[in-house]
Amino acid sequence: MPTLNIYKTIFIPITILLLFTALFFLNSYPNVSTILGGIALFLIGMEYMEVGFKAFSSGALESVLKKFTNTTPKAIFTGFLSTAIVQSSSLISVITVSFLSAELMGLSSAIGVIFGSNIGTTATSWLVSLFGLQIKISHYAMPMIVVGIFLPLFSKSNSWRGISSVFIGLGIIFLGISYMKEGFETLKNGIDLAQYAIAGYAGVFMYVLVGAIATVVIQSSSATMAIIITALATGQIDYTNALALAIGANVGTTVTAILGALKANENGKRLAVAHFIFNIITGLIAVAFIYQLTELVDYLAQYIGIGIDDYTMKLALFHTIFNIIGVLLVSPFISLLVKFLNTLFIAKGMNKGKPKYLDSSALVLPSTALVAIVMETKHLYTNAFDIISRGINLKKKNILSNMDLDAVIDDQYTYKAIDIDDFYQHWIKGIYGEIIDFTTKAQVSMPSEYIEELYKLKLANRDIVEAIKDTKHLQKNIFKYTISKNKYIKEQYNDIRKGLTQLLRTIESIKDSNQDEEILVLISKAKIESKRYDIISNGTLDRLIRQGLISNQMATSLMNDSDYAYNISQKLINMAQVLFIDINSDLRDFNEELTITDEEINSHIKDHL
Amino acid sequence: MSIKKFIKQVKRILLLNNFEQKGKKKSLKILLEKLEARKRVLRKIPRKALTIKERKALKEEEEILSLQIKKGKKILKELQSII
Repeated sequence: MPTLNIYKTIFIPITILLLFTALFFLNSYPNVSTILGGIALFLIGMEYMEVGFKAFSSGALESVLKKFTNTTPKAIFTGFLSTAIVQSSSLISVITVSFLSAELMGLSSAIGVIFGSNIGTTATSWLVSLFGLQIKISHYAMPMIVVGIFLPLFSKSNSWRGISSVFIGLGIIFLGISYMKEGFETLKNGIDLAQYAIAGYAGVFMYVLVGAIATVVIQSSSATMAIIITALATGQIDYTNALALAIGANVGTTVTAILGALKANENGKRLAVAHFIFNIITGLIAVAFIYQLTELVDYLAQYIGIGIDDYTMKLALFHTIFNIIGVLLVSPFISLLVKFLNTLFIAKGMNKGKPKYLDSSALVLPSTALVAIVMETKHLYTNAFDIISRGINLKKKNILSNMDLDAVIDDQYTYKAIDIDDFYQHWIKGIYGEIIDFTTKAQVSMPSEYIEELYKLKLANRDIVEAIKDTKHLQKNIFKYTISKNKYIKEQYNDIRKGLTQLLRTIESIKDSNQDEEILVLISKAKIESKRYDIISNGTLDRLIRQGLISNQMATSLMNDSDYAYNISQKLINMAQVLFIDINSDLRDFNEELTITDEEINSHIKDHL
Repeated sequence: MSIKKFIKQVKRILLLNNFEQKGKKKSLKILLEKLEARKRVLRKIPRKALTIKERKALKEEEEILSLQIKKGKKILKELQSII
């Protein structure tokens, strides 16, 4: 479930094992061989469907999950609908975990989606009961596979390839069901599994266990349900035992989730545990009230036109009802569950120098990978902000306040220069390295429009790192000259500190603003402001030297350090333009063309002299 | 009819040519409206109530806005000539 990765790593061995076992039994037990082959085909078909929907939806599925999950009822409904349509709770879970990791979705919403997805997954039971057994679906299988194979010949777009995969997947699933059904029918002539039916609660517990183990082994509750339904349809298992097997399949699917979450981050673990708790509670309720639920199913069945002896449809109804009851009973406690899960798994992100958002689950989709990189770069900037403010001997809380600039620079952070290299090693290097590594992995499967954004983000990261390195050079003389007895040089270095404080404040305003026109003005203002460091052009240096106000050594230091301050400004402005302008904003296309150019800045300054 | 020709026909019938430019034009128009609205708001601020420093900052912002509106209109004109 929540991790497709573990499913993927064992999917191929399981399928191969099933096919080999099918071959092994081919002569001695041809019907067992047919059933195993059917299961293998069903799994392959599911895989095709999932890959197809991923390519076909191409961002639409992510948009739906992002937009319609802000409240718990909405999240449950979205989870239900999306799973019922794409027929893959694994795909929905993977997207949910990656959104959770990228903070595009809260834990309550994610839990809602998973609950809804549990109801949505029962759609497979309905499909198998309705179409798989009522009609001869193997007749439709081949035409669907043929359509799927020929579709990509007409268009090479991802969407068409996705649709073709969905067709091929459905066709293979139909074939699989048909083989399973055929296998169970012929098996009945030899062995009657129904003779092993156990009555009472002993049978219920026994079959719950069998259902759970089967799902853990096959790694797909949908496949287990397909087996149960076909076995029930051919009379190989008795109705009550089939219900118990269905409960077992629901419990078994959480083991896959837990196994997968072992390697996931805190969010993946929280979601897997939430899913586990939900399915266990639902399973316990279903087992405790299995006979009452059976009566409820019989009662409801007559109202929706299900025959009294149509056990496969009644099983599908039972599967849906006990999942709905589970959601109704557990949903009111989601906020309590969230608190419990947050206490159970404490975010490792508390460690400042470690990446917070670069989870491998985000690599599954280009959009989530990009969001993860944006979030991590923002995290890198937050750490850089702390280092730069300390480097120019300022207190972060003062910069972020409305305090007057003169008061901010008077309230110094320390009396001694900090070791910026040490801070860089602890707060920057690890995150920066991880971002570059993650970016390299992400770009492998990214379309061209994402690659362009990725390139800009790489540059933004480089700008942040270089701004820190420039601060390191600047720091030495800031500490030396802000305590100098020469008031002129002291004034110049405090002016640099004021300028950088103003810049950091402007960037914070850009970061917090969601108004395009405001961002545009702020960027232009910051660019004009950075020209204050051009002390050669504005005549400051000439005046100080000519009037003998500073020594030659002070003059060269001031010239170099003004250059460092200018570079810090330019790099941070460039970074802000990439990082803090929303990717979907109208400004994104025109930001570079509309912001003030160097030539316009010079003419603006000339006009105001 | 070849597939390429078919796609071309569909694009022509559904007026999908220059779709990207049209999207850009729309974005720019929205942005220009926002910039002009901001300029109008700034103009309404009573100058007398401000300090010299604040008046200077306001004037600078107005100048930046005028410059950006001018540049935006120029780009819009270029886009309109393409479409």
